[in-house]
Amino acid sequence: MSDLKIVLFMCNWNPHAAFQTLQDDCADLPPQVRMVRIPCTGRISKSLLLRAFEMGADGVALVGCEAGSCRYGSGTAVAERNVEDTRGILDLLGLGKQRLQWATFLPEQAEDLLNFLKNFYAEILTIGQSPVLPTSHRGSAAMTREAAMRLMTSHDVFACQDCGKCSSACPLSLAGKPFSPRAMANTIAGGDLESLSMHEDIWSCLTCGICYDRCPSAVDFPEFIRDLRKVQRAGGKTGREAHGGFFQSLMRTMTSPDLRIEHWKWLPKDIQTDSHSKVLFFGGCAPYFDTYFRHHLGIKTRDVLVDALRLLNFFDIFPALLQEERCCGHDLLWTGDEENFLKLAKLNVAAIQDLGIEEVVTACPECYRTLSKDYAELGLRFDFRVTHLFDLAEQEIDKGAIGFAPLHRNITFQDPCRLARLNCASPVDASLPRKLIQRLQPQAFVEMQDRGISSLCCGNCAWTGCDAYTKALQVKRLRQARETGSDLLVTACPKCQIHLKCAMEDLFLGSDLKMEMQDLTTILAQNIRWE
Amino acid sequence: MKAKSAPEKIGHFRREVLITGFGGQGIVLAGNILGRAASLGDHRESTLTQSYGPEARGGACSAQVIISDATIHYPYVRNPDIVVCMSQGGFDKFAPLLRQGGTLIIDQDLVQPGKIGSDQVFSVPATRFAEEMGRKMMANIVMLGFLTAVTESVTVQAALRTVEASVPKGTEQMNIKAFNKGYDFGLATLKGRRKKAAGVKGVK
Repeated sequence: MSDLKIVLFMCNWNPHAAFQTLQDDCADLPPQVRMVRIPCTGRISKSLLLRAFEMGADGVALVGCEAGSCRYGSGTAVAERNVEDTRGILDLLGLGKQRLQWATFLPEQAEDLLNFLKNFYAEILTIGQSPVLPTSHRGSAAMTREAAMRLMTSHDVFACQDCGKCSSACPLSLAGKPFSPRAMANTIAGGDLESLSMHEDIWSCLTCGICYDRCPSAVDFPEFIRDLRKVQRAGGKTGREAHGGFFQSLMRTMTSPDLRIEHWKWLPKDIQTDSHSKVLFFGGCAPYFDTYFRHHLGIKTRDVLVDALRLLNFFDIFPALLQEERCCGHDLLWTGDEENFLKLAKLNVAAIQDLGIEEVVTACPECYRTLSKDYAELGLRFDFRVTHLFDLAEQEIDKGAIGFAPLHRNITFQDPCRLARLNCASPVDASLPRKLIQRLQPQAFVEMQDRGISSLCCGNCAWTGCDAYTKALQVKRLRQARETGSDLLVTACPKCQIHLKCAMEDLFLGSDLKMEMQDLTTILAQNIRWE
Repeated sequence: MKAKSAPEKIGHFRREVLITGFGGQGIVLAGNILGRAASLGDHRESTLTQSYGPEARGGACSAQVIISDATIHYPYVRNPDIVVCMSQGGFDKFAPLLRQGGTLIIDQDLVQPGKIGSDQVFSVPATRFAEEMGRKMMANIVMLGFLTAVTESVTVQAALRTVEASVPKGTEQMNIKAFNKGYDFGLATLKGRRKKAAGVKGVK
């Protein structure tokens, strides 16, 4: 068991002095503990903590200064928060939160530090090695002209007539960013593949799909971008991953088959499920989002899953749940990591097939798109069908005898791109949530200026490319929402909630933008009644 | 009352059904399908009598069906167990005949029931459903689907087969859809009543 890998992130100041004393004394430090000296524990973000586990660490200790003795003031408080959140994530992943520990020492507490490290080593020794298999590293092959041309041909990008309809609709262009889908097509056709601006453009696209909708030559730009990213990633290039790449790290960690994920252990007891059911509810990553953003945005997207399950129970559907449910892989796929996406997809499909599931129901637009379209297109074979919760609810409500308590709210609706545009197959399109909203009979339902298939993106996709322009886009979207005079912004995707909420936290504009947000699933569940 | 496929007590089963509405709504066809489903599909005895005369040209008309396990000696309905009303005139004229505890089914948008003795009243927007599906004239089939769901008169399999065989060629799928719409609405209504009786209203 001597091949345990324990990473010790140690603050330069107080504890490092104690550590040096131990080194001077030739203390018997466990050799498995590898110390990384850092300037301040507050700078070890959640993504760095998780990345250590992604790369195969069996234990991580973050050791800093006692509250009040931090040289930079807030380092200790930030580090405590980061550790708490990341421990929550490790718990959901089934890795066990005790693999990550936080401690503080003063310079004279060398003996205490030694005891801490010995105990930590002993604890990791009892838990054993981490089941996480480090994923392969990125390659370094530069994008060749041939590879780019193949993509241009396979996506028929040469059909681009340079008409500019995409640029005039692209939300990023409209937010002022020097970005244009057709200009990109031209540049790549001209053979410029390696310039900085090209790289920036490839990773800035929101893949919201409005250009594809407007394109008279039907060039599927989002999918072209997806494949370009794949080629770029193979060449060792990635975009600016938001949150330090935490979520990409999380998904890659989930590709380890031996991980005993505990996706649902937080579920309220009153939810009725049935492990023998032929219907499976696929929740999505909301529990991770809530844990990650607990101290930042205070979002509660997990409640949407609870409400979705309550709604199913209301219809007398008691679905099975996949305890070891993994991320559907959407964000890996859209950031060019098809290799790890496929690992996730295979694990999910195998687990669902093992349960003998005939129908998978999900309330997440990204899960829906990925499970219903991308899995099959990328070569996975399975027997179950995929249904969006809204489709199921509409069918059940349409049977009759179901009504809604009066909704005394003025509402408007933010279309998720994966629901309104990128599925493009009836019955799951922009009209489906609107049918349900009409059934709710709200006091008022006012559409925003850009809506339905033309709706504006929430500002980010697949946790990449977040910048001042995407923030400007979110501000524009929230202003549109406020202009409708509504007091409730209804969404149908956890990420729309997260991103728009983030814009509302703006110190200067926040009060102009603040608006209550709720998922349509929640509103349906709260108001549905037998008549 | 439950939507059961077939009653268990052989020899005791007897239903008198009275369907009423305007001439042209397909009242007689509905009665015809019901009776034939019971006899040819469920192998019971059944009779159909229908009103001729001026009412069949626009006034209140009616179809009277008796379904029984025993031989039916008298084909006219005297104390109907089930009255289906698809017009106000039909309701005014025939609803009072309903036996104590019987089931009254009305078209929600065409009949104002006012005060009514029976507590077994179902209202179904059959005509509206049919309109939404593109053909108002299928209201009778929607109604038949509903009746199949909420009463034990005929089995759903027999009713569906008979609908398919009775409607004009080329409209079978449409009519089956209409029947299922009514049938699903009937099941949902029963479920809603069960839930409410059990004190369940919303999701919690």
